[in-house]
Amino acid sequence: MSTHIVPRHGKSFKERWYLSALWVGFRTTFGHFWRNILNTNAIDVLEYPEVMPNDITARYRGHHRLTHRDDGSIACVACFMCATNCPAQCITIEAQARIDGIDEKEPRRFEIDLLECIFCGYCVEACPCDAIRMDTNIFSMVGNARSDFIRTKEQLLATQGAYAPTHSQAKGAHT
Amino acid sequence: MQTMMTLLPIVLMVLYSLAMIPGLIWMERRIASMVQNRLGPNRCNIKGFRLGGVVQSAADVMKLIFKEEFYPAHVKNRTLYIIAPSIVFIAAFLMFAVIPFADVITLDHIYGMQALPIDLGILWYVALAGLGLYGIILAGWASHSKYGILSAMRASAQMLSYEISMGLAIVAMVITYDSVAFNDAVHFQAQTIWGFLPAWGIVIQPVAALIFIVTAFAETNRAPFDVAEGESELVAGYHTEYSAMKFALFFMAEYVAMTASSAVIVTLFLGGYNLPYLATQEMLEHPVGILVGTMVALGVLYGLFIYWIRTNISRAIVEDLERARERKVLTVLFVSMLILSELFLLYWLVVGTTPTLMAWLVLALQLSIFTLKFFAVIIFFILVRWTFMRFRYDQIQHLGWYILLPLALLNLLITALVVVL
Ligand code: SF4
Ligand code: SF4
Repeated sequence: MSTHIVPRHGKSFKERWYLSALWVGFRTTFGHFWRNILNTNAIDVLEYPEVMPNDITARYRGHHRLTHRDDGSIACVACFMCATNCPAQCITIEAQARIDGIDEKEPRRFEIDLLECIFCGYCVEACPCDAIRMDTNIFSMVGNARSDFIRTKEQLLATQGAYAPTHSQAKGAHT
Repeated sequence: MQTMMTLLPIVLMVLYSLAMIPGLIWMERRIASMVQNRLGPNRCNIKGFRLGGVVQSAADVMKLIFKEEFYPAHVKNRTLYIIAPSIVFIAAFLMFAVIPFADVITLDHIYGMQALPIDLGILWYVALAGLGLYGIILAGWASHSKYGILSAMRASAQMLSYEISMGLAIVAMVITYDSVAFNDAVHFQAQTIWGFLPAWGIVIQPVAALIFIVTAFAETNRAPFDVAEGESELVAGYHTEYSAMKFALFFMAEYVAMTASSAVIVTLFLGGYNLPYLATQEMLEHPVGILVGTMVALGVLYGLFIYWIRTNISRAIVEDLERARERKVLTVLFVSMLILSELFLLYWLVVGTTPTLMAWLVLALQLSIFTLKFFAVIIFFILVRWTFMRFRYDQIQHLGWYILLPLALLNLLITALVVVL
């Protein structure tokens, strides 16, 4: 078995002297400051409201949405997995019996309070039916009142995903 | 005349401390963003005029003023609770009272350019710097919150350890300058050593300068010595329970303390309001040289600034009409200011100057020199905040007691020996 000896830093006089290290750090920050102030046009930033980001990855957790089945009806079966798993406890579900024969249960009420949500994505992980997703790439949510931030079932169903396919991909759960 | 000349330094003091705060907040934000390759706040505008983002600070001030005055229900002693930020702020503000912004000006009488006509100088600064701490302790205690009191304890322990080294560094400077008054310190620094090196405090007393600057950072509770504030451990710090203008007082006090410390550093170590090789008397005796020098300096500075505005005020990505208009207006404004001042100086150059006029001109020059140095130190303060990592609490005490204190004592000993021998 070979041993890898990790060199420890911070013991030599030069490192303990500290001021030289500070000087190096100072040179770096001042270098950035000086370069950027001489030519502010070269700073690579996004002019946000006018230019929208185009590099959001597929794993980005944005605004939630509820998916549909292939026939267009709601995919959620009101199993409460997401609400149970939610660390912020911001999902409110009321279940009702589903009478159209497609499944047994569906939510009567499905609300997410975005002000409490921490966008952890655990609800998505928990869902057995791929009924809730956060693949909308919507990151800016604004409103004038607290009540504006409570997303209802209808709003969540109407929200479009940013990528195809948009329907529930759960296999076996809905049959 | 007498009233005006007494009021002038007080107005200057208010300008340098209070009126500077929005500008400082703006500088802090923009410099931070430049260091981090960002742009910082630049969107706020009045009719399209963004002035590089200064408008944002005005908006922030408005917001703080109009915020609700909220008193937490658990605060028992509301008087102390309200007095605490006032003490911090007043102490920071009064530090400025003894800073000479320019040399004494001789008109019908001799007028000093410091708000309080006293010679306490550096002693006044030390006294008030220590006083601000009482406000912080009081705030921590009166706000009846564990975060507040923890932060206050930290702040006081830190202040205690660093005040001693600061005092010793100052004593070394007082021995060197043979006076506690700032004006004497500046006059001493106008000399040269060995005929060419300006006798600035930082040149003849580098160790004291280093100790003073380090302790000044600790004294103003700024990074890397900002243990009194810490989002991760203390929510905010001693001002956790404060909101609206009461919080703003703490906030402003931090900046005023920073400006006051910069002013003291400039005065004690960087030659104050004088340029090297140019004492006040020499300035008064060479009107032509001063006038021409000012004209050249103004032309170069303004020229660079206007060039910078023309090339930098717009972003290539989003160029709109408002920005183009702002650029045009600012260019016209600065060019006309430059032409006007150059014409004034040219007029005096041709017609000739009177002693009174020269006194005023030298005053204005020294003010500008002081301001330039002052801003350089402030930029240094801000850059340090974004460069150095915060110290851990034990590291702070270690640095204060094991390194700075012996160093300051040694420096004092050597200084005393050199001066006495
Ligand atoms: S993202 Fe996290 S916090 Fe938000 S609703 Fe889903 S589980 Fe709850
Ligand atoms: S969204 Fe998914 S986890 Fe939540 S109740 Fe519906 S089916 Fe269950």
